[in-house]
Amino acid sequence: MLRNLRGWSVALLAIALTLPIIAQEGHPLKGSWIGVWATNPRGEDVVMVMNWDGKSVSGIINPGTDDVKIDNATLDPNGWKVHIEASGKDAKGAAIKYTIDGAIDKLEMPNRGIVGTWTSGASKGKFEVHRQ
Amino acid sequence: MISISSKRSLAMLAMGVGLALYGTSAWAHHPLTSKFDMAKTTTMSGVVTSVDWRNPHVHIFMNVTANRKVSNWAIELESPIELAKDGWSRETVHPGDKLTVKGNPALDSSRQVWGADLRYTETGALVFPPKPRNSMAPVPTRPTPRWPDGHPALGQSPNSVDGYWEAPSKTALVEDGVDVKMDQYGLLANLADAAKVAPMQPWALGVYQNRQRRLLKDDPTFINCKPPGGPRMYQSNLGIQFVEDNARKRIFVMMGSGNHNYRIIYLDGREQKGLVGGDDDNPLYFGRAVAKWEGDTLVNDMKDFNEDFWFTNGGLPHTSLLHLTERITRTDNDTLRYQVTVDDPGAYTRPWSATWTLKWNGGGTLPAHFCQNNRQ
Repeated sequence: MLRNLRGWSVALLAIALTLPIIAQEGHPLKGSWIGVWATNPRGEDVVMVMNWDGKSVSGIINPGTDDVKIDNATLDPNGWKVHIEASGKDAKGAAIKYTIDGAIDKLEMPNRGIVGTWTSGASKGKFEVHRQ
Repeated sequence: MISISSKRSLAMLAMGVGLALYGTSAWAHHPLTSKFDMAKTTTMSGVVTSVDWRNPHVHIFMNVTANRKVSNWAIELESPIELAKDGWSRETVHPGDKLTVKGNPALDSSRQVWGADLRYTETGALVFPPKPRNSMAPVPTRPTPRWPDGHPALGQSPNSVDGYWEAPSKTALVEDGVDVKMDQYGLLANLADAAKVAPMQPWALGVYQNRQRRLLKDDPTFINCKPPGGPRMYQSNLGIQFVEDNARKRIFVMMGSGNHNYRIIYLDGREQKGLVGGDDDNPLYFGRAVAKWEGDTLVNDMKDFNEDFWFTNGGLPHTSLLHLTERITRTDNDTLRYQVTVDDPGAYTRPWSATWTLKWNGGGTLPAHFCQNNRQ
């Protein structure tokens, strides 16, 4: 049964690969991103939405009741390095800060990625998201 | 009943077909420089086996013998539309014809050549390129045609024949006054000139350089048939046509390239804002355009573009903050002056302008180049 499902999953993936990918040809950080921040005790899944107003990048991480606001985000075209500082609250309501450092992977692709690390106090882990 | 192994085979087959289709769509239409090494030339002689006469590019297949081994090569030429303008048809070259081809080899060393010079091997008679087009010959200056209310006719007027605008004097967007060398697709001869092309913000310059470095092969107009919105439609080698609906106070701008798209310029005094239930908060490939006449110049205000396409040949970036002001003047019967001011604070450090002209093809029918499936 599992092999069956795996086979059809591969088939569906192959068909999906042939579908047109929605392009986003503007600022490389703009858009919705989905991925993981590994070992984060709040949950490893991460969703990030960013916007570019011509001067600065704004956005939010994991929109919803546990959202984390992006306070500062920069993009350095020299190596396409990304630096994000964000703040939210932990389960007890205490302030919590996040820093994400990484680089854009496959800039030219609509599903480009940001790969790097996240840190929050003494916690840290791998960070990888891809644009949706 | 399909067995597990059959299903696995089916899955693998689907993946193979999928990847093959993906590869085809990505390479079916392309800037030449992303596929062929234009700095190298090769020569070969052979016998034509078939002619694939269809968009986006015509291919002549030819058997070439080397070291007693026969290989089939694909000689790629311009589109059927371009070739037809030069007097070619699908009957110009036939299977069995012996040709000698000079051209540019494929970057990936596959058996493909961009044909620059084709001759009959036995006679040496030239097959391609054809003679220069008669339509490009100089014509005496004729006055700008006008509608009864006095404003210039941008397309055909009631008393004249059909026609459209072609042969843009510039085929890529470059700020007025800047002199940089680039090919017809907007590929810079020298990447170090990138920052001169327009006053880009650092991120935009980085994206532009990346697109140039990758030889423009990521252009969504070529890969996914995305409409060439904004000023790009006025730099197509397949031309544009104005259809003026004076009674309804709007102008349809038809494209010869892309998907034969059109856009509408409104002259009915409506506000430059989205229509609720229409294009409100719905960025578009062609933006939203409202215009008015200032003397003999149509001044067209355009905004609300999406970010899903390249608005120029060569890959200058833009954002959804893009605001264009077009100034379109038919300076005489056969000349259209087009000027665009680009104001995009999301990608550029200041507004900037570019200007070029197009030539009237009187009596010509706008070519229909459909890009569906990237093959039609």
